[in-house]
Amino acid sequence: MFCSSRLRSSDSRRSLRFWRACRIALFIALIFVCVGFPSAANAQQAKPQEYQVKAVYLYNFSKFVTWPANSIQGDTFTVCVLGPDPFGPFLDTTLANETIGNRPLVAKRISDFHEISGCQILFISASEAAHVNEILSPIEKSSVLTVSDIPSFTNSGGMIGFELIDNRVRFDVNLAAAEKAGLNLSSQLLKVATDVKNAPGAGGMKP
Amino acid sequence: MTVNHVAVSISSSKLSGAPSSRPSLAWRRARGIAALLVLLGASGARALSQQPTNPQDQLKQLSLEQLGNLEVTTKSKTPEQVWKTAAAIFVITQDDIRRSGAASIPEALRLAPGVEVARISGDEWSIGIRGFGSRLARSVLVLIDGRSVYNTLEAGTYWEVQDTVMQDIDRIEIIRGPGGTIWGPNAVDGVINIITKNSKDTQGTLVTAGGGDEEQGMSSIRYGGSNSDGLSYRVYGKEFNRNSEYHSDGNNYDHWKAIQGGFRMDWAKSQRDTFTLQGDIYDERTGEYVQLINYSAPYVQNVTGYADLSGGNILGRWTRTFSQGKDIQLQVYYDKTNRIELNFGDLRNTFDIDYLQRAYLGPRNHLSWGLGARASHGHELAPTTGLYFLPDSRTDQLYTAFIQDDISLVPDRLTLEVGTKLLHTNYTGVEPEPSARLLWTPSSTQTLWLAATRAVRTPSDVEEDFYLTGYIGTAPNGQPYFARFNANPNFQSEILDGYELGYRRLAGKNVYFDFAGFFNDYHNLFSEDIIGAPFEETDPAPPHFLLPADFGNGLEGTTTGLEIAPEWKITSFWRLHGSYSFLHMSIRPGPDSLDVGTSPIVNGSSPQHQVLAQSSFDLPKQTAFDIDFRYVSALPGISIPAYTTANTRIARTFGHHLELSFVGQNLFQPHHVEFEADNGPDVAIKRSFYGALVWKSKGN
Repeated sequence: MFCSSRLRSSDSRRSLRFWRACRIALFIALIFVCVGFPSAANAQQAKPQEYQVKAVYLYNFSKFVTWPANSIQGDTFTVCVLGPDPFGPFLDTTLANETIGNRPLVAKRISDFHEISGCQILFISASEAAHVNEILSPIEKSSVLTVSDIPSFTNSGGMIGFELIDNRVRFDVNLAAAEKAGLNLSSQLLKVATDVKNAPGAGGMKP
Repeated sequence: MTVNHVAVSISSSKLSGAPSSRPSLAWRRARGIAALLVLLGASGARALSQQPTNPQDQLKQLSLEQLGNLEVTTKSKTPEQVWKTAAAIFVITQDDIRRSGAASIPEALRLAPGVEVARISGDEWSIGIRGFGSRLARSVLVLIDGRSVYNTLEAGTYWEVQDTVMQDIDRIEIIRGPGGTIWGPNAVDGVINIITKNSKDTQGTLVTAGGGDEEQGMSSIRYGGSNSDGLSYRVYGKEFNRNSEYHSDGNNYDHWKAIQGGFRMDWAKSQRDTFTLQGDIYDERTGEYVQLINYSAPYVQNVTGYADLSGGNILGRWTRTFSQGKDIQLQVYYDKTNRIELNFGDLRNTFDIDYLQRAYLGPRNHLSWGLGARASHGHELAPTTGLYFLPDSRTDQLYTAFIQDDISLVPDRLTLEVGTKLLHTNYTGVEPEPSARLLWTPSSTQTLWLAATRAVRTPSDVEEDFYLTGYIGTAPNGQPYFARFNANPNFQSEILDGYELGYRRLAGKNVYFDFAGFFNDYHNLFSEDIIGAPFEETDPAPPHFLLPADFGNGLEGTTTGLEIAPEWKITSFWRLHGSYSFLHMSIRPGPDSLDVGTSPIVNGSSPQHQVLAQSSFDLPKQTAFDIDFRYVSALPGISIPAYTTANTRIARTFGHHLELSFVGQNLFQPHHVEFEADNGPDVAIKRSFYGALVWKSKGN
């Protein structure tokens, strides 16, 4: 007697629960309606991924930085990625069909920093954080724009460091390091940088 | 204060009130179907709208300024460090916390696999990792920015006083399984590391305000600034007022009011040296319902009132980074905790100093070593004869040393980590906490790891200096009958030998999953022992019958389990994630154990199955929509039924400054019980709603 009444009550409770779930679905639907229903027209405003935006930044850097005339030897303007490639397809699709002067922009993945010769822009993957100094010091005078999202990259002598601020991709600049390498950064670039350091980082002069 | 099940416990029958008035079935069905259609329609419209154009072309049209103002989705959960950790680590990010709608740190912990979070009442939680859920989680070590908040008086964490501005939390790292080698004593079942943002990432003004039926009012204000010399800071204040949960007897005692303030300063003096100085101060009142036990009549008084909880802390840290993975770190902190409950009080001052050094020894050995010392002075208040500490004032000490070598067996592929902690407390001799972990990364998309570790939970005042009395009844001759847990100066450390394995896999670009399995072998576990026959005790007066008991090391046994945490980025705007956790506990009395029979309660206080399913949508018009469902299986040891419920949050951002959100919690039932109450009928957690606004100044 006790058992059967318990069973029945749990059964009815289950169906009750189902209908409550439906009520909640309705509640959610109402919120959709109140907040603004997703429509086909604005659906494509979905947020881009972090490295989609970073890839576009690398492309922009090629426009807003001037390399010494004699520093680009080959037939291409090369953006190198050292270490595991975080860009997926986005770097290649960004650079496709773009040119600097009459040189096509190409992406190249390298696993060893001895392959740096021939790179105009070097993106250093976050996994190389432990070796930043080893990578940067031999090339500090070559005309390679160094970019990375390693934390405090510009403090370590890197030229442009990406940072994520409130889910927005921003960057800071070590101007002294860029000048040492003979690179000229446009004022538009410096204007949007979050910070412009005028003292070189690695082996720096600051007390 | 947690009073354990004293000798005899009468299980109360659980009566759940069923609501009576229900609209007609047909109307409900129609509403449900309409809602489903609406949701399906929404996703259909989105699917159709995708165009085959190169998305990068649109981005290239933007100016540098526009690019910098574009909100992006970041790759979640698989940063290099997590990927290459030979332990069951899970990271709850700021984004996860925000999107969950969690208003407190314990509620945010529900997002992690293998963690059981049960709300006991409005202001108390039971938390466990891989079993052993309890009010204080005595075998889980909790740190906030490197400061241990583990209470050495009662062994465990008082969750209600661990707080900060939720938006200032950078992440919560949860390590399931023993972490004693690195983290020290009491990191047995797991470690919870709450890490706040560097103050350079909290610049400008942030104001939050919100309220609802349970969260009756919550507000915070934070301001951050910096100078050109690499110095940044923030200061904050917050307060909240929380309503009681559902009480079947109408005794709505668990109101909660809190106010807290603090600061953090970070100074990157050079690329070599960084300094952090931070501190907090808080004052809270939490409602509670406790038993006061006295040897003279009335023997039992059930009283309702407020606990006064206040405290503060200050922490300094200096890090010097040399080249090539060599660095040193020195950290010092002082923590003051005052806890004045209705049946006891603890006034505590803790000093701690830690030193850590890391260096490469040749290309293949990365060596870490460290030293630490802690002194914690407590003064105990005992307003009743039924609960007191003897001596009531004492200093607990802890000394630790650790060394670990990460050996690269095959560069970038196979790493072996071996090390040990040595610790000494005023209750124990030198105890080792060794570990060996093997990490294999056969490709850039897979990680496999194995670990064998030992960790200890050191004795605390609650076992060694504590007298706790429970009233059992009145004998036929009219004399009262009590049971008392006496101090046990011979209590030993609880020991865990843990064996674990884990596998992480990135399948394609969009699917990630993390699997971990474990077999834990426990010895010397806490037990409640009857140590003699009842006798008539005359001192303290008046005369009474007493069943003598103490806290012993009489339980042992094993736990086995696994956790699976998958994540699927279906599209750039829709992510499904969640976890399944399985746990089997087999804790039993050891040979010669005098335990009164607590092992079924221990085994039955943690859920065998937990499921969490979360959906995160980024809708157009800067709108984020999240919903999560959770299932927690029954806790038979304390007669808590299984439950399923859901939370949802919808938030819309207006420009760069303002976000409005609306949160619904525990939606599936008017209220449900998650854990056994300390005293009186179990407290049921209500369905609740709140709205909140967040305003940020620019550059924040």
